[in-house]
Amino acid sequence: MNSDTKQPVNSPSATTPIWLVMVFAVLFYGGLVYLDHHSGGFEPQVYAPYHSLAELEAAQPVSGAPNPFLIGQAVYNKPTCVSCHQATGAGTPGQFPPLAGSEWIAEPQPGRVIRIVLNGLQGPIEVKGQNFNNVMVPWKDVLSDEEIAAVLTYVRQNKEWGNTAPAVTPEQVKAVREKIKGRSQPFTPAELKTISPAD
Amino acid sequence: MNRGPVIFLGTLLAFALSFFAFVLFPQVQVGRQPLAAVLGAPDGTTYPAELPGQARQGAMIYQANGCAACHSQQVRQTGVNFKVMLAEAGTNTAAVLTAVMDANPKLDEAAARALLQNTPATVLPGLSDKKVADAAQKALKNAGAKAEIKVEPTGPDIARAWGARRTVAADYLFDSPVQLGAQRVGPDLANVGLRYPDANWQLVHLYNPQIYAAKSPMPPYKFLFHLHKVEAGAQPSPDALTLPAEFAPPAGYEVIPTDDARALVAYLLSRKAVAPVFDAPLSVAQAATPATNAVAGGTNAASATNAVAP
Repeated sequence: MNSDTKQPVNSPSATTPIWLVMVFAVLFYGGLVYLDHHSGGFEPQVYAPYHSLAELEAAQPVSGAPNPFLIGQAVYNKPTCVSCHQATGAGTPGQFPPLAGSEWIAEPQPGRVIRIVLNGLQGPIEVKGQNFNNVMVPWKDVLSDEEIAAVLTYVRQNKEWGNTAPAVTPEQVKAVREKIKGRSQPFTPAELKTISPAD
Repeated sequence: MNRGPVIFLGTLLAFALSFFAFVLFPQVQVGRQPLAAVLGAPDGTTYPAELPGQARQGAMIYQANGCAACHSQQVRQTGVNFKVMLAEAGTNTAAVLTAVMDANPKLDEAAARALLQNTPATVLPGLSDKKVADAAQKALKNAGAKAEIKVEPTGPDIARAWGARRTVAADYLFDSPVQLGAQRVGPDLANVGLRYPDANWQLVHLYNPQIYAAKSPMPPYKFLFHLHKVEAGAQPSPDALTLPAEFAPPAGYEVIPTDDARALVAYLLSRKAVAPVFDAPLSVAQAATPATNAVAGGTNAASATNAVAP
């Protein structure tokens, strides 16, 4: 008796039921189909809602003319303007005036701001109720018409800063550059006030 | 148990397989990504920008205070819409009119005419198939008009204005550890630097979130601030928080943010996952129409910084 119980019980080898095999086959197939549909071809750049690299490539915005706002951002952070006016456009209190929400930036016509960027600025200026008296360097020999237009567009259309003035075109910058060709000294705010922004 | 080696090998294989598939393979694929190129920007413009030092300290404060327990930093996107825009109608009005009406049969002639007058205008909104949009754009171009296709991501998070597009691996290149978060007791913070760009707003909100939203479940982080006594006759500090009367400290005291609070706010303001990249394409708002933007005078500044709803 005792020796019998110590024997390992050899159960008769039963065959796996065929329906179970089918169920697993269907599950496995379903898993593969799901993987095929959602893996994005194992491409690291393909995320939902795209299914393949080809689909993602087709969805790319057509690269026409580069966005002046983004070019302007690159110019701003070159670093040119960012050194004094800061990445936030808030300026430095008491030293450099803010660009964010500035009434000088918000003028619908860009004549004055183009002059400021081209030839620089010197003398007391009031921005957003604060008084500043410092020197801004001229950029006319450093930046091209396209770059000045782009950076002004970036500043004037920067909704993050609360600026919603119209864009500036390279043609506008070119026209102003022609008008003040012979001038080398910076503008003063008082003098700018006498110039029409549309000019 | 008389098949030890077989079970051991089977287990080893299962774990090795999952390690390769879920750890090693993704690490090789996305773990060493180069910086992403920004679509539409001049060549060489890369994304993301490295975090400023203060923001890097702030990431540690974010981590130390368990912000990721209640806030995620991942924007989900479920779909994408293509919109055909008529940028300029050109000179051949009759041909463009036909092209517009062919592209969008829902438009009758009067509506199409009105559309031609008010460029830029949407010819076909909300297409899911880029090919339809491409065909419409081509037809409009052949008619002599300027047409462009806008790519607009869609999804629940984008509808909540938590982001313009989904977040992708490139957004987290400089985050270590990546604080994705798993729960959303509070709103997603992947773009909080865009939604609340005002550092003072952030500081007051950290000091007591209930100032902005009375029912906010977020605990006040007052220990990131210290109460400072204003000596008699002394000027109040320029750093002191401006608080509404009912939340203000007792008379003669002021609330000053600590370096930790400032670092945390610098980190929050750095959260901007918005640059258009190849992985998550979108059309950036172009220079908007002059007609709506020619605001005379400069009175938009104060409202833009303060008009953020809690």
